[in-house]
Amino acid sequence: MKRYTLHLVASLVLALGMWSCGGGEAGGTDEAAAGNTTGVTDTEIVIGSFGPLTGPAALWGNIMKGMDACFKMINDEGGINGRQIKFVMKDDAYDPSRTVPAVREMVQKDEVYAFVGGIGTAPCMSVMEYIVEEDIPWISPITGATHWSMPIKKNIFSVLPYYIDEGVIQAKYAIDSLGSKKIGIIYQNDDVGKSAVVGAKSVLRERGMEFVAEVPVEITDTDLSSHVARLKDAEADVVLLWTLPRQGVITVTNAKVINFEPQYIASFILSDMGLMHNLTKGAWEGVIFGSFATPPYQYDDPIVAKYKSAFAKYYPEDRWGVFPYGGFLYAQPFIDALKKMGDNVTREGLIAAMEGFKNYDVHGLTINYGPDDHQATRSMQLLRCKGAEDFEFVSDYIDSDSDIEGLVKELEAL
Amino acid sequence: MLGQLIVSSLVVGSIYALLALAMSITYKASEVPNFAQGEMAMISTFMAFVMLSSYGLPFYAAMLITVVFAFVLGLLLEFLFLRRAKMPTPLNLIVITIGFQLMLYGFAGWKWGSDQRQINLPFSESKVIFQNDIFALTELNLATLIIAVVVLVVIYLLIQRTKLGLAMKACQQNINASRMNGISANRIMAITFGISSVVGAMAGILVAPILTLDPSMMWDPLLKGFAAAVLGGMKSLHGVVIGGLLLGLVENLFGFYISIEFKSVVAFAIIVLILYFKPSGLFDKHYVRKV
Repeated sequence: MKRYTLHLVASLVLALGMWSCGGGEAGGTDEAAAGNTTGVTDTEIVIGSFGPLTGPAALWGNIMKGMDACFKMINDEGGINGRQIKFVMKDDAYDPSRTVPAVREMVQKDEVYAFVGGIGTAPCMSVMEYIVEEDIPWISPITGATHWSMPIKKNIFSVLPYYIDEGVIQAKYAIDSLGSKKIGIIYQNDDVGKSAVVGAKSVLRERGMEFVAEVPVEITDTDLSSHVARLKDAEADVVLLWTLPRQGVITVTNAKVINFEPQYIASFILSDMGLMHNLTKGAWEGVIFGSFATPPYQYDDPIVAKYKSAFAKYYPEDRWGVFPYGGFLYAQPFIDALKKMGDNVTREGLIAAMEGFKNYDVHGLTINYGPDDHQATRSMQLLRCKGAEDFEFVSDYIDSDSDIEGLVKELEAL
Repeated sequence: MLGQLIVSSLVVGSIYALLALAMSITYKASEVPNFAQGEMAMISTFMAFVMLSSYGLPFYAAMLITVVFAFVLGLLLEFLFLRRAKMPTPLNLIVITIGFQLMLYGFAGWKWGSDQRQINLPFSESKVIFQNDIFALTELNLATLIIAVVVLVVIYLLIQRTKLGLAMKACQQNINASRMNGISANRIMAITFGISSVVGAMAGILVAPILTLDPSMMWDPLLKGFAAAVLGGMKSLHGVVIGGLLLGLVENLFGFYISIEFKSVVAFAIIVLILYFKPSGLFDKHYVRKV
């Protein structure tokens, strides 16, 4: 008993000590701050981000690594208007119960000026309300859900196209360009997959069509024999693929074995062409997928080449691909907004600068923001995989002119 | 389509059967379902991957090392963790296996976290070697069926025909009596966990080319293996094997003909129904322990 009391007292003392130290530190940065803007000094701007560096979704953590490499590159080039970027990144393992404390810590202890990035619908949702309440600018939550910009939130700016719009664009392309009469979809049975179903269905409905097969997959499913059998049985000639990489690989491999080779149109989630080509041992060739900016494999593009070599410099052990590249892209609007603001860096200034982006081009991605529009883009271009790093464009940018509000309601009613 | 579905189901079912068998072996010995089984198989599969891809060893050498590694991993679980438990109840031991599972999962996430990987076995998962109007069979499918049958036969002979098997059965029935008869019960228990781990590793390696490797690759297969074991009767060796094949069939036929939405619920429904109506499983005799 005595020992436990001792432990208790010891840990209390320790906790108190840490708390007072923490308080001291926070006071220190306050005094050091040049203006009144949290997280900004004469020499430094503190930015926060979160994502899965470990756990089942660690693949997407590469986006955050790309972002980190991007800020390191900017810092080595002399920073932005003389200020260095301090990029605080926290690993939440794609687990919302870990995102919440991580974000609170970044707000209260690290005192970030803004959030840039943040990966996944569920983790982002778990902190959205808090970040809105704290009124901290949040650029590019990395998910294609609609919650960030519908209804509009003053401090959040979304870059990634909506999953619903991507479904719309895929269906348009399948019908108008491929002339498909029999479209099937295999989708993960959650918000992401259902968004695509709703989007694509709206186009099918307009043309008096229906899916020949709608096959949901649980994200833990590993035996997809009967799923693929259903698609084959329905004789789908185009299959929209809305699964995680694992189920994408299983679907394509299984289908090939049973002599079922439709034209796949894969979601942006599956656009890590190098990875998918490798995992399917080449069966990924011919798969069509969407991109909302210049693809990461266009090495003759000077900006892509610059990003690629920067990533190789700061993360020599990691593989280049669409995810690290995404990190650079998603950070770009924030960086340009900071540049636009000049010396006087405030949160209001950042929001105003962001809202000022009209027809602003980030390597093929055209951003249009405004006071009542915080969604960067609603169009995508389609490419076809020709090898692990080789692709061809199969379409121009296709706009989704869907009635997004109506479709969101339809999705919520599902 | 039916023929193809049945063949695919038997292939998947034999994986479930291997995992169910792995669980059953240790359950018979210790009355503890080992929830670390899947993660142990996953780590062993990564071991095979490292041997094949990073060190470029030939397949047979890599397999030999993996089998030894899996065996030692099983020994370690028993020797370092389960044996150390003070006055263990089955519940305590189950929690220990869950702890071990988390340790292995955490380790794999740290070591091989961010990318999914592809293992290269000498038999391809996409090359069809047999095809007629009714079904197609890939090299990997055939290898899976053959290896599963071989492993099942070896385990059966080991338990029914060898002194080690006799000792294992003796320990299961009465551990004190077997100790008095000169059996080193602790050692037998550790070996049991080692063997079970090797069987699990076989299943892991055989599913890896289709599933792709990552730390969470065995979650679903293990759950199905567990359902298969419950279906067949945790303590009946032939029961769990039939349970595995049956589960593969039921799932896929249900998914294709009845409802794809509810396919992934079938395994859980089976666990619940069996525990409710025939807790000892389809193929095990039901013993009621009298106080």
